[in-house]
Amino acid sequence: MKDSPQTVIVVDDDDAVRNSLRLLLKSAGIHAEVAESAREYLGRFDANQGGCLLLDVRMPGMSGLELQQELNMRGATIPVIFITGNGDIPMAVEAMQHGAFDFLQKPFRDQDLLDRVQRALARDTENRTRLRHTDRIRERLASLSPREREVLELVTQGKANKMVASDLGVSQRTVEIHRAHVMQKMEASSLAELVRMMMTVAPP
Amino acid sequence: MSTPTPEVLALLEATVDAAVIVDDRGRIAAFNRSAEEMFGYRAADALGRNIGMLMAPADRAYHDGHMRGYLAGGEPRILGRGRDVRVLHRDGSEFSVFLSVGRIPNTDPPMFLGHLHDTSLRRKALATLEKERQLNRLYLDLAQVMLVATDRAGVVRLVNQRAVRVLGKQSADIVGSSWIDCCVAPDDRATARNAFRAVLMAGGDEPQGCEYHVRSADGEDRFITWRCVALRDNNDVATGIMLSGEDVTDQRRAESEAHRALERMNSVSRLATMGEMAAGISHELNQPLAAIANYAQACARMLRTPTPDVPVISGAIEQIAGQALRAGEIIKRIRSLVRNEDVRRETRDINGLIREVNTLLASDARVHDGALALDLADELPPVTVDGVQIQQVLMNLVHNAFEASGEHGAATEVRIATRRVANGDVEVSVSDLGPGLPRDAEHRIFEPFFTTKPTGTGLGLAISRSIIKAHDARLEYRANNPRGACFYFVLPAFQESQR
Repeated sequence: MKDSPQTVIVVDDDDAVRNSLRLLLKSAGIHAEVAESAREYLGRFDANQGGCLLLDVRMPGMSGLELQQELNMRGATIPVIFITGNGDIPMAVEAMQHGAFDFLQKPFRDQDLLDRVQRALARDTENRTRLRHTDRIRERLASLSPREREVLELVTQGKANKMVASDLGVSQRTVEIHRAHVMQKMEASSLAELVRMMMTVAPP
Repeated sequence: MSTPTPEVLALLEATVDAAVIVDDRGRIAAFNRSAEEMFGYRAADALGRNIGMLMAPADRAYHDGHMRGYLAGGEPRILGRGRDVRVLHRDGSEFSVFLSVGRIPNTDPPMFLGHLHDTSLRRKALATLEKERQLNRLYLDLAQVMLVATDRAGVVRLVNQRAVRVLGKQSADIVGSSWIDCCVAPDDRATARNAFRAVLMAGGDEPQGCEYHVRSADGEDRFITWRCVALRDNNDVATGIMLSGEDVTDQRRAESEAHRALERMNSVSRLATMGEMAAGISHELNQPLAAIANYAQACARMLRTPTPDVPVISGAIEQIAGQALRAGEIIKRIRSLVRNEDVRRETRDINGLIREVNTLLASDARVHDGALALDLADELPPVTVDGVQIQQVLMNLVHNAFEASGEHGAATEVRIATRRVANGDVEVSVSDLGPGLPRDAEHRIFEPFFTTKPTGTGLGLAISRSIIKAHDARLEYRANNPRGACFYFVLPAFQESQR
């Protein structure tokens, strides 16, 4: 996984608003890119690009809300901060219900914007780290043999080696060997860590 | 036979009426010029003949008898009194005259002077005069206008029925009184007096107009428009004034009420339009404000760094100025819409008018997630319009178009087009790609309070139409090609000669 710099992407059809936002973010040391329509942004959407979205709710063509829904359908996790006018509270509420990270009313104080952007970027980093973590666990799980997988299931249910051996109809010694392989392949240092890993990848 | 003295003859000739002198035997001794005309005989032919030749057969014997009786010392039946008699013209026709006879003093044998007055003519004239008088009275009373005649001093000599009714007074109470003191509303007396004087002073028969209130008997003031003309005698001296007045109180009241109602409707619609567009407008204003805040805050941050990037900062400051001006423009547009300005006609380029209001129209487009297209023809002649009103109509039509097409999920493009039509006038149209109008709505859309929209007031199109009508044009509907609705009006091209 690459660790490209986090980028704030500003999507607004108004030249002045778009460019002033980019300059404001730049002045705070945050790298920003701009798109003048939802379509333009979707055209170069990259799921691996870390950062956050600053989205105008009202735009001709595809609105900010529609873009949010499209991103949700694509499984994108990038946090979205909506920028609204003062008459757009119902729209902001709808956006939040669909998982928007936050919203800001125009015009706003730079610190309010930067705080939210920073929090959104932090959330994105968290999301991506977590995502990478579960990806790794899944990769390790995939490397287990069927027998090792069975041992893992029973061990993480809290069963002792003896019970596992009797459940599987093998010797206790064999269980011990499988269990050591599981701990090694899963890179777990304790049973407790193994249980945590299993809870991360198999929530439901 | 004796002859009258020269004095008597001279007197005879000077008399306008026909006069004949006869002697005691009934022979004609003098026959004046009027008698010649009346009977068709020359004096020379009549002199010496018996007066009986001038009498109708029925009266002849009676006359002879009468004369004889008198001469025999009887009662003078006719002398000094006179009576109607039938006489005979030379051509044989009979007619009536009023005959009076006097005995000429100091004549012996006596001579008599007969005075003949043609009563048939006089009666006819009297009857005609009477008939005319009645007819005139009838004319006066039939007239739907107030008619008042006064003398030079302003004393009323005549009023007709209509005037009596409006004033609520008896004719007798008005005639003989001063017109101004008796009938004109106190506040308007100076006006009335000036108008009265002006008419008397002016020469010619050209009626002069004026307007003032009269006060009726029950204290109500009625507003009258007057036409006044001086009455003149044969020497062209003004002897009085004839006034003809129309009671326009109700008409004026209705006019001003209709005017007020329209004004009210206008401002209601403006407010309604403003309300509907408030979201778009606040968004429109927020854009430059947000940009200004962003640029300014970015500048402040950049200036706090050890090595500020001056070109970037100065570029940002220029942007701030530009955005502030943009906000000012938007406010100016809104203000011109909200102001209840009087109708002002200017000679304008219609395309310029449309472009001016484009920002607001575009904000409406934005609210409806639509696009506004301008399709403006080049080199159009100027038009004479109230720019703000025309812009209001356009905003209304564009707003309707977006609402109509938005509901149906159709492509929401609204097009404003201008073009020159065959006779050189300028057509302005607003068309959309929505569902168009249902057949039964086509006739009714311009009616006030007719609406197809759940939240519509039904006033927008009615007001738009009245505004366009005030520009000598008509707001019309036609189906748009390939689909949708099209509202259009044709403004008369401004002619150089109108300047």
